[in-house]
Amino acid sequence: MAFIEIKDLFKRFKKVVAVNHVSLEIKQGEMLTLLGPSGCGKTTTLRCIAGLERPEGGDIIIDGKPMLSQGFVQPSKRGIGMVFQNYAVWPHMKVLNNVGYGLRLQNIPRPKIKEMARQVLELVGLGGLEERYPAQLSGGQQQRVALARALVRNPKVLLLDEPLSNLDAKLREKMRFEIKSLVKRMGITSVYVTHDQAEAMVISDRIAVMESGNVTQLGTAEEIYKKPANRFVADFIGTMNFIPGEVVQVQTESGAVHVRAEFKEKILCQTTSPDATTPGKTVYVSIRPEDVEVLMEPAPARENLFKGTIAHKAYLGNFLYFFVSVNGTMIRVQVPHDLPQEEGQEIFLSLNPQKCVILF
Amino acid sequence: MPRGNFFLSAFLWMVIALLVVYPLSILVLESFRIAEPAGWGIHNYLEFFQDTYYLKTFANTLVLSTLVLLAATLFGIPLSYILARYRQRGKTLFTALILLPIVLPAYAGVFAFIIFLGKFGTVNLLLMDMGIISKPINFIYGLHGLVFVQSLHLLPFIVLSLSAGFTTIDPSFEEAAEVEGASGFRRFITVTLPLCTPTYLAGAVIVFLWPFTDWLTPMILGQVDFLPSVAYINIAYHFTDVHRKYMGIVAVVVSSLVCIALFLLARRWVERKKYAGLSKGTTSEGRVIEPGLLIRRLSYLYTLFISALVLVIPIVLGLAAFSRRWVFEPFPTYWTLDNFRVILLESPLLIKNSFVFSGIALVFGMVFGLPAAYLIVRTRTRGKDLLDFMITLMLAFPGMAVGVSYLLGFWKGFLPLATFWIIMPLALFARRLPYFLRMAHSSYLQLDVSLEEASEVSGVGKLRTFFYISLPLLVKGVLVGVVMFFIMAFQEISTAIFLYRGGWETLPIGIYLNWHRGMEFGIAAAMAFLMIVITFILLLIISRIGGGVLKAAWGPGGT
Repeated sequence: MAFIEIKDLFKRFKKVVAVNHVSLEIKQGEMLTLLGPSGCGKTTTLRCIAGLERPEGGDIIIDGKPMLSQGFVQPSKRGIGMVFQNYAVWPHMKVLNNVGYGLRLQNIPRPKIKEMARQVLELVGLGGLEERYPAQLSGGQQQRVALARALVRNPKVLLLDEPLSNLDAKLREKMRFEIKSLVKRMGITSVYVTHDQAEAMVISDRIAVMESGNVTQLGTAEEIYKKPANRFVADFIGTMNFIPGEVVQVQTESGAVHVRAEFKEKILCQTTSPDATTPGKTVYVSIRPEDVEVLMEPAPARENLFKGTIAHKAYLGNFLYFFVSVNGTMIRVQVPHDLPQEEGQEIFLSLNPQKCVILF
Repeated sequence: MPRGNFFLSAFLWMVIALLVVYPLSILVLESFRIAEPAGWGIHNYLEFFQDTYYLKTFANTLVLSTLVLLAATLFGIPLSYILARYRQRGKTLFTALILLPIVLPAYAGVFAFIIFLGKFGTVNLLLMDMGIISKPINFIYGLHGLVFVQSLHLLPFIVLSLSAGFTTIDPSFEEAAEVEGASGFRRFITVTLPLCTPTYLAGAVIVFLWPFTDWLTPMILGQVDFLPSVAYINIAYHFTDVHRKYMGIVAVVVSSLVCIALFLLARRWVERKKYAGLSKGTTSEGRVIEPGLLIRRLSYLYTLFISALVLVIPIVLGLAAFSRRWVFEPFPTYWTLDNFRVILLESPLLIKNSFVFSGIALVFGMVFGLPAAYLIVRTRTRGKDLLDFMITLMLAFPGMAVGVSYLLGFWKGFLPLATFWIIMPLALFARRLPYFLRMAHSSYLQLDVSLEEASEVSGVGKLRTFFYISLPLLVKGVLVGVVMFFIMAFQEISTAIFLYRGGWETLPIGIYLNWHRGMEFGIAAAMAFLMIVITFILLLIISRIGGGVLKAAWGPGGT
């Protein structure tokens, strides 16, 4: 059974619809990420779960208790922990008081609060900084205070609103793993909001990709990467080549779809759902740069073999990027960094039909 | 240092030296003079701090300050919270009304409330007519009345500073508290209010210092045992007793010192405690809360109540201005334009003087303020921080200190300016020095320096760049500053009262004199009403330029 259930959630700001009838189920102990570009409604959805926004429609059920349908439950009564994008560590309170704030409201005796705060601060790696003011801490340390504050009451649900976006790249990468292992260890059901796909893939059990108020795709990192539901998801997660073309033939039983590409040649795609398209339709044959095979010689037995010219070559350390022009259509290819080919040289691209995805 | 900046700096310092440093040092010097046997020494101060009467006035003033601040804060906290956080119908109008006292002369409020709440004022008469009370209640004469009038007059400072705090603190600070389990009131006490202390203090210090500078309100309400009132009486009515005059000057110096010390203390504290949020995504509106029905109704009533209190001032003065013989009646019965006829026919000079003096002061203000703002914001000229400091300090100086020091400094000696009418606009200028500068200063800070640099790179000199690029871009802020300065100069009395001679009277002095002579209440009220109308028109002009009445009353950048 779902621990958090979002049912047909609808929220708008004046005329702008921020969350458009979103439904999601989050299992106990699961870490779900809402991923999407700014303005897609991910933060609003999170704030609705927290009770910081009042949705116009739908319901949110946390651990069996409806938060909206039986009267609005105030954020203070929801038993959640939340880490804010800008940490929101109160500057007028010491670290200890920041962390112990929620406990004090529960009338827990002072020594016990101190003890609990100390423990959780130790856990996030801030032992010994209890008496500091936030202004005396670095950004990363403030972030940990915010995390400690959210965890100290052992909440049913942890909400994280782009918690790492204000940190520098190195620290951000380190904190991803720290947060994940900490939350998993405590077994807290959590919802994580980010616009960083790499962060989402590292940290979450499942990802909900959002676009203009809707959840476009829900699945594990691998599912979303390998089988993007549409062009938006494919483009947002990783890099994808989109080759526009027109469907010429659909073989339903074998799942083969023939597409006449923009560059006048036919591409064969092996899809699992060939019914989704019909001849004459304009589609995009999509393939990841690392799935394109590069050949020096033509290999006649291969399907989808196209001749092209290297237009640009970029060195990216662990691999090379070729921008290959096939009759004017640019295809990005990721190749091993020891390939000697130079710009202007002719090569052959092989597009594995199994890896070609038809998107609209 | 470029030569241009050097000459500019020299010019500004000369003005400061002549119009601020010189007269104020004369004031301090004079406080050490002993009447009999003629000589110098600290005896006056010793007497001041040993004399039970002076000590009592000092203590009284402190008590008054505390009470006024307390009252203004207690009434101001809910009011500013409502105005800053709730979406209410007519919010702009209410805000404008509540801020009105800032631009109204303090004495206008006193007169209005005497008519309205006095022993035989409207409220008492109505209550007696209805048979609820048999004897009039003393609403206004005494300490409680003084606290009431002054805190209403100063409420806008608290409302402005607190609502600035409420709108600028990062919403997530409060949201975090709510998520942590603190609801409503608890959150307000533990997070919202503490985070607002720095901005609150900026307004609170102005409120607290007011009773150390306002001599007129206590006197009108029949209370004289306060430091500024005692100083005024000692200086203005010393006749032959020179010692009294010196003691008055001591009182002026003491209250000035208290003002400056507290002002600087508050400033330092605010600087130290500024809570910089990491936030970037907050709206300019800040956090908006949708309260429940009951809270909404109550807050509406509360705002309405305070607005009504403020509205009493222009309404009552208006009624008094258009009537005669309004005595022992709740409302006037005899309506006439006589008061205005008297003013316009017999003493149009007052109106003319007010406009001319304030106008000239304004020209001085601009000639001084614009270069000063440029120097302080855009250059690294040595001593510019001190210059900024000196000018800002004038905010804390009681008007009386300026008036008395000008009288002492420019009476005889090398610069007998006090015998020419020019002393009036000069004094107004010096007294309101910071107002224009602050305004120009804050709009200058918002002007991207690269816009000016682009002009200089294109081969245009500094001076011409200023006139072609900076000034046109600054014009909004500068115009708001101009009108604000004019309003403040227009209603100035504490300084002018010491310096005017026959023929130099301004409208505020006219109001005071008419009240002082007694029984000319109608004319005083008509003058005050006229001032309110003029101020209102000026405010409308600023709100046209600057957008928003709120901004109009306080200008960009707040305190």
